[in-house]
Amino acid sequence: MTEIESRIREEAKKVLENGLVDLVIGWAAGSVPFRTTPVFIDNAQDVDKLVWNPVCANNLAVYLPKMAKNRKVAIVAKPCDIRSIVALIQENQVKRENLYIIGLGCAGVVDPSKLESAAIRLSDIKALEWEGEGIRIVTVDGEQVLRSTEVHREMCLACTKREPALYDVKFGEAVLPSQIKPRELPELPEERQKYWSEQFSKCIRCYACRQICPNCYCEVCFADRVEPKWTAKKAVPEENWMFHATRAMHLAGRCIQCGECERVCPVGIRIAELMREMAEAVKNKYDYEAGDPKEEAPLLGTFRENDIDPAQHSE
Amino acid sequence: MSEDSTLVQERTEQETKESAEQGRTWQPIILGILCNWCSYAGADLAGSSRLQYPETVRIIRVPCSGRVDPAFVLKAFRKGFDGVMVLGCHPGDCHYAKGNYYARRRIALLQDLLKALGLPEERFHFEWVSASEGNRFAELVQEFTEQIRRLGPFKGVVAVENKSS
Amino acid sequence: MADKILPKDKTEGFIQALGRKFVVVAPVERKDAPAEFKEIGAGDKVILDGSQMMMPPKDYLLPRYETLLKVSTRPGEVEVQPVLPDEKPRVMLGMWLPDAQAIQVLDKVFLEGKFRDPYYAARRANTMLVAVMPAQMRWSWFCASTDDVEKWKPNVDAIMYDLGDRFYIEVTSPRGEALVEWEGLAEPSSEDVAGKDRLWEQFKSHGVLPFSDGKFYEQLAWDHPIWAEIAQKCIGCGVCSYMCPSCSCFDIQDEVCGTCVERYRCRDTCQFEDFTLMGSGHNPRPDQLPRSRQRLMHKFKYQHEQYGVVGCTGCGRCVELCPVNVDIREVLNKVCAEKEPEPAV
Repeated sequence: MTEIESRIREEAKKVLENGLVDLVIGWAAGSVPFRTTPVFIDNAQDVDKLVWNPVCANNLAVYLPKMAKNRKVAIVAKPCDIRSIVALIQENQVKRENLYIIGLGCAGVVDPSKLESAAIRLSDIKALEWEGEGIRIVTVDGEQVLRSTEVHREMCLACTKREPALYDVKFGEAVLPSQIKPRELPELPEERQKYWSEQFSKCIRCYACRQICPNCYCEVCFADRVEPKWTAKKAVPEENWMFHATRAMHLAGRCIQCGECERVCPVGIRIAELMREMAEAVKNKYDYEAGDPKEEAPLLGTFRENDIDPAQHSE
Repeated sequence: MSEDSTLVQERTEQETKESAEQGRTWQPIILGILCNWCSYAGADLAGSSRLQYPETVRIIRVPCSGRVDPAFVLKAFRKGFDGVMVLGCHPGDCHYAKGNYYARRRIALLQDLLKALGLPEERFHFEWVSASEGNRFAELVQEFTEQIRRLGPFKGVVAVENKSS
Repeated sequence: MADKILPKDKTEGFIQALGRKFVVVAPVERKDAPAEFKEIGAGDKVILDGSQMMMPPKDYLLPRYETLLKVSTRPGEVEVQPVLPDEKPRVMLGMWLPDAQAIQVLDKVFLEGKFRDPYYAARRANTMLVAVMPAQMRWSWFCASTDDVEKWKPNVDAIMYDLGDRFYIEVTSPRGEALVEWEGLAEPSSEDVAGKDRLWEQFKSHGVLPFSDGKFYEQLAWDHPIWAEIAQKCIGCGVCSYMCPSCSCFDIQDEVCGTCVERYRCRDTCQFEDFTLMGSGHNPRPDQLPRSRQRLMHKFKYQHEQYGVVGCTGCGRCVELCPVNVDIREVLNKVCAEKEPEPAV
């Protein structure tokens, strides 16, 4: 157990015992050492279930709109999860006063599928720990340290916001990546279209991307609407395009770049790349960053009189 | 039951055939989404002033450009329209005070999305047209039609090799 | 029956030889995605050794999207045409053994009982199944906990055991003989047989869960507290059922296309809110708890009662892919064991 882990547990115990919150949401050990699972603790005796390690991937903010509606909840959160929370507060999906945020400095999260590519048998793994910018992997045959570029999630390789932006208590220090991995997308429009056609044609419409997304909180998604029918249920490339394009539009100025959509996709669609592109456009045009506590209102729920004019004046 | 998925395509094919028979050039099909208070009135003025413009545009009247969900535009492309134009009141002139300001942000981001997805941006046109600008409306349709004609028929939102059936 | 050896460098020739007699369906490699079962064509890279995650073979037999019928209308005239797939001799290669067993479950649903599904039947008739036994057991498998796997052998026509530089092809049904007629195949040595037996023993003992008799269908209770525990973290996506080789639920929709109507079938899952939503607005499964319960009770209890087979064959896809790590093995352990298993260290 690391020091930070024990401090998280102490803090959880404290806020449950003194009645500050009714529930603590955090990560517990998963069914295998390279996964963790969300855990919901309402009894101070159970706080030892909480863990903090490089496979704490889930963005737990997804549970807040339902679980923190009428009660006080403490949440253990990485900096990206906290950006989700900020966005949810800004959009009135959760009340700040209902939350107790246990913020964590982050050093990047591991993508287990990359471990397989690095010739590590998943079933041999016993534990994963942070080691500076890299990851120490303890297996049945010993241990080794891999560089972050070899094992981190793609989103983490591009992330520089590893300090919590909003918290009630903070543990751990951020470790910033020494190099930011640039996005690799084709430049020419035709190639772009080809790229996304290929990506979207893999989609099986399981909606894991939507369900795991903390900021996709609509009670009825446009994709499930029958009247009007925005997109048919059949998983054909054109309808998949309609789903992903509309979802990207709905998340413009709201997506906080946690990359959960890409992590959970069973067919490896690079959804987060599209989200990242949109977030860059938002930053360039409106100097707006989703999940930044300094933003006062949701991007598309407000305007400035001197906003960029998209009219393509033909004169 | 969902709407017509290939109607636009069928119609285009039929018209292409007819125009070829009549020795005319191919006519694009354009969706125009017009704000009731300014742009639609502008289109009306163009009509009542008997201004000539190509019969390529199919107009949908909406109460305000702020009503235009970007998904309208995405769906129009998914259904195969060759071009989509959205027209609204000039900034400051909105009947509902600020609907077009909200529209402005959405449309600007929609343009970025189309670009990110690799769709030809030239097929989407956004413009401010007031109720008195009948002339301007006619010119706009003329110019946009020319532009789409140069681009040729829209091949669809996904690349040809990934198309379903 | 005549078992054979296929040296791996002759795999291509073997597939070509099969291709002269059958339509060959196999997992084809895709960019950044699990391989998908399809009729192989020129330029397709086939993955035969079962070493990687692949889409379930049901995607071929029960496609994610298929047209059932088309209606064309002209003034005063309506014509209905069913769109049935061809009944061709097919062979499906490269699936894991639990996937092949899952097809037995699909057969029960679509071919037995009062209604025989003509679409599924057309693809399934004359289709031979060849399973693969990879060199290393997948960590997420728990096949031997779901059933007596010895009973699975006759349900496939052959099993290909990966012995490193060669496949040992075990013919497990009389009609499977037709698969090993190619002259490029060799006779197995006693070492090969030993290698095959070793892999089979590994498979039989791999991932056996620590509860005694495996009769979870007797122990799964409607009011078990585990359902609330799962439902709390479940996000209600369709990964588990869409990737599951035996989940068979579908939706049928009508769509107008110009002057015609298309009726199609596509995937659906009990995990979605609109799966049980009535036209009136009433939803008998209003939240995640009954939905989570339904999927597992259906697999492990209802299907056993209805067909005498367990709906889950232990392929482990949902174990590996669940976004919130709801591990079906843990669920079974908790429900069936007297006390909770020791947490993993």
